[in-house]
Amino acid sequence: MDHYLIIARSVTYAQRMQRALARAGIRCQIFRAPRDLTELGCAYAVRVTVSGLTDALTALHRESLDPVQIFLYQRGLYREVGR
Amino acid sequence: MIYLDSAATTFQKPSAVEAAMVEALRAMSSPGRGGYPAAMAAAEAAFDCRSELAELFGLDNPEQVAFTFNATHGLNIAIKTLVPPGGRVVISGYEHNAVTRPLAALEADVRIAEAPLFQPEAVSDAFAKLVDGGVDAVICSHVSNVFGFIQPVEAVAVLCRARGVPLIIDDSQAAGVLPLNMTELGAAFAAMPGHKGLYGPQGTGVLLCGKGVMPRPLLEGGTGSLSIQQEMPDFLPDRLEAGTHNVPGIAGLLAGVRYVRQRGLEAICRRERQLAQMAAEELRVLPGVTVYARPDLHAQAGVLSFTAEGREAEALGEALAERGIAVRAGLHCAPLAHSSAGTLESGTVRLSFSDFNTPEEVSCLVSAMREILS
Repeated sequence: MDHYLIIARSVTYAQRMQRALARAGIRCQIFRAPRDLTELGCAYAVRVTVSGLTDALTALHRESLDPVQIFLYQRGLYREVGR
Repeated sequence: MIYLDSAATTFQKPSAVEAAMVEALRAMSSPGRGGYPAAMAAAEAAFDCRSELAELFGLDNPEQVAFTFNATHGLNIAIKTLVPPGGRVVISGYEHNAVTRPLAALEADVRIAEAPLFQPEAVSDAFAKLVDGGVDAVICSHVSNVFGFIQPVEAVAVLCRARGVPLIIDDSQAAGVLPLNMTELGAAFAAMPGHKGLYGPQGTGVLLCGKGVMPRPLLEGGTGSLSIQQEMPDFLPDRLEAGTHNVPGIAGLLAGVRYVRQRGLEAICRRERQLAQMAAEELRVLPGVTVYARPDLHAQAGVLSFTAEGREAEALGEALAERGIAVRAGLHCAPLAHSSAGTLESGTVRLSFSDFNTPEEVSCLVSAMREILS
């Protein structure tokens, strides 16, 4: 299923993102980021629906939480769409 | 056993602490090391613990809460971040070896803000005379581990902010008893054990990092983040948490902190002070006993020292232990505090209370002391 992965610098940061999104009414899950998506090794990511990305980024921005990278998963492939 | 040594570690813990630790051993692995349920359960416990601590100590970001092995570990990180070899430091006269030994190892130029016991205004004045822009750090314990003296960390923080000097607070005896708001104080660091007034298990500690402070790690190693990079991450808490976490300890600490927040600092402090006051009043009338407390327990938390004329402090501690009463006697790893109070030669017997002690236990202690001294 298509989705966005918002990469966080650490598991704690990903948890902060998850809580911020929950406060905005956006449900999401935390995952280990696929290795080939991250330049510097281990990282965590929150996964949001395609339709939920704008609201998610607004909610994160409101709480001064910056994603490391953002990827779109479509047709079995990840493509970077933002930093 | 009647346990009156909570300044060393609290022995009676809320029942939820043991339950949380057992559950952690059963269901949690290592936070930040995987996305499978056991790793994420551990990560949740760690995050919840950081969040509870951040709220309790006035931090808006749980990333500023780093887990340590104990308060000494946190103080070493704080001191070695801010004080270069030979650097200038001003400390209170009531600091523990956890502060003075790292400073000695750094061959720091240490100035002591000397002040008599239970006179917080004198402490503030002493710091004001010594702190200037050339000082690398000020270090002040919130509560003396020997005498329970509540030091004026708020006033010292105001002074440090005005003079642009970073402040390190040793909150070992105050955490879980007295309020401390890191954001309002603007302190660089506050270090504390998890196993005293926060009722977590031994082997847990916390270092609160002020906003914008980037500490120097004491340990380098795996953090579960930025694995390709050979330098430690430049963000918290990962920068300070190399290696596998003490997950059962963190789960137990979370339960302990929740107990403290539910019970309330004011209620805990009131209870401990009432017990200390009762002990002070009843011990003071025994022949030859000197109690280090003002009659109204002014500027004092639930820690109380006493001596008995012609009796070794250690011998008194042994005699109490034989009667099933656990106290700490001697210098309490704080020779500077004893020097400041004039008890370096004799040492003292220290009573330190927790939320689980009772007036009946204090009565037993006083009866035992009467018997020992008779």
